Amino acid sequence: MIGRRTGQTLLAGGLLLTLATGCGVRPSIVITGRPAVSGPSQGIGLYLLRQGELVLVLRPAKAQGTPDTALALLAAGPDQTERGRGLTSEVPAGIAPVTSEVDQAGDLTVRTASAARALSENAVNQIVCTAADAAAQAGLVVSFAPVTIVGPDGTRPPQPCPIK
Amino acid sequence: MTLWRWVGARVSGLRVRLVLAFALLGVITTVAVASGSYFQARNVILQQAQDAAVMSLTDQLTKVYPITQLPPTQGELDLLAQRLSDREGSVVVIYRDLWAQGSDSLDLLTPELRQDVGDGRIAWQRVSSEGEPWLLIGTQLRFARADGSSRPSGLEVYSVRSLVAEQQSIDRLATLAWLTGGLSLVLAVLLALLAARGVLRPVRDLGRAARRLGEGDLSTRLTVRGVDELADVARTFNDTARTLERQVGELRRLESDARRFVADVSHELRTPLAAMTAVTDVLDEEAEHLPGDAGRAARLVSQETQNLTQLVNDLIEISRFDSGTARLALDDVDVAAAVTAALRIRGWLDRVRTELPPGVVVRLDPRRLDVIVANLVGNAFRHGAEPVSVRLSADPDWVTIEVADQGPGLDPEVLPHVFDRLYKADTARTRSEGSGLGLAISWENARLHRDGERRGSLVAGNRPGGGAVFTLRLPRDTADAGDAR
Repeated sequence: MIGRRTGQTLLAGGLLLTLATGCGVRPSIVITGRPAVSGPSQGIGLYLLRQGELVLVLRPAKAQGTPDTALALLAAGPDQTERGRGLTSEVPAGIAPVTSEVDQAGDLTVRTASAARALSENAVNQIVCTAADAAAQAGLVVSFAPVTIVGPDGTRPPQPCPIK
Repeated sequence: MTLWRWVGARVSGLRVRLVLAFALLGVITTVAVASGSYFQARNVILQQAQDAAVMSLTDQLTKVYPITQLPPTQGELDLLAQRLSDREGSVVVIYRDLWAQGSDSLDLLTPELRQDVGDGRIAWQRVSSEGEPWLLIGTQLRFARADGSSRPSGLEVYSVRSLVAEQQSIDRLATLAWLTGGLSLVLAVLLALLAARGVLRPVRDLGRAARRLGEGDLSTRLTVRGVDELADVARTFNDTARTLERQVGELRRLESDARRFVADVSHELRTPLAAMTAVTDVLDEEAEHLPGDAGRAARLVSQETQNLTQLVNDLIEISRFDSGTARLALDDVDVAAAVTAALRIRGWLDRVRTELPPGVVVRLDPRRLDVIVANLVGNAFRHGAEPVSVRLSADPDWVTIEVADQGPGLDPEVLPHVFDRLYKADTARTRSEGSGLGLAISWENARLHRDGERRGSLVAGNRPGGGAVFTLRLPRDTADAGDAR
């Protein structure tokens, strides 16, 4: 008898609670859907630094740039406006002229004019990401292909761009 | 205590239980159905609104491409935000630490939403701000690569839309659900009352009929409706009542036959007895001259004839009571004088202690009072022991006469049967001097006096000090329509 009473009370209480709390539009947790919107870009992309962070910069251009043009622009450093926005570069201007080539295995190799081994971590990432992006954009390599930097002083081990 | 029991009986009554059961069933069903459909509909409404908003935002965002320059200036961000904002919602565009918005709603963005958007997926979330529900949708703007993958541009777009319209639709649903629940509850209670009436009416009829039957109305019958269990009960009740009525009728017929027989026999005996009495009167006169045994025999015959006459007269009196033909001859009587007269006629005045306050005038039948007093005092002399006392008392409603003696009193076993007809207290003594009907006649005479609800009575008992006492109570204003029954 007591058990039945308790059960009934619980049932009624539960229903009331549901009705009391379940009305209207309740706040929800974050719901995730499809991958983010993506679309085409136009211009030459290079990676500069902003407070030590890699930032994609899109320079207006008529055609898609080759890895070489992009690397040349990277070696030239940020322009006036970009510097005004706090963008910097750790890539020394001395690496130009820079060339790039794709080998049989589909790996990308960048050849610099100045010492490759002395490049800072950020500078290496800037070069790798810029070259890989431009090459992928041009359809030369698959995305996230590792890039090998070769300088007069030797070769750095191949590494991919850290930005996904 | 009784109030609580009454309330308890009401609450646990069939009607209340039926109503509660129906109401509970109705409420549970309605709550289950209404809340189920309410939650379902709410989810559908919200999901559709969210999906439509997400679709509309992504459609708009495809028009932003191709993007030709990064990083954007504040002006470009503002322009983009304004272009994307419409009347359904405002848009916030964020590029790293720069942001632009159609209206002020940035503080609605939650860190977890920004986190999930930063992970590269479209994400949305419902939040509540100032009592209003809002839908936040966020996405990165990414650049597509030739191979189908994409890279982040650093731009994030958040759409902030009010869900007030959806809230109103959902509130309408809730109102509808409550209304449905209330209506169904009312309906359930009505149905329960109807069902309870259908069940309770036959039960009530049955109860009423049973009560009437118990009060002696043996012709009570129930109307049998339908073919259900209650109809069976009603049928059984009718059968029982019919059998009872037949048997009681049979018994009554037998009894009245017996009484009529006694009455007839008594009447038939009266004429020969009158003749015999005339003859014994002559015999009595001659008895003194008759020698020895003949004289004793003549006196014996005379005595027994007198006794027989008394018995027959008593029987006729009794049969009058039984047939309901006994009538009172009422008169305003001074009770003390009437009692004294009754005693004096029988020569008992000197032997009886009387306590008769004068001036008690009561409307009664003096002949019957005389019969009662004579019988009670005679019994006291015959069965009890002297001194015998007669005490009269009166109050505004009643007059009481107590006749007491100093004998051994009445045996407790005898007491309940004292007024039975022809009851012999001493079974060994088969012949008594009385007819055995005297007390029965006195009792009937006492009861014959009545005034509305008040009815005369004669009660036998024992006094604490020993001795029997008979108490006669008569109403002071006996109505004229004195009827034995």
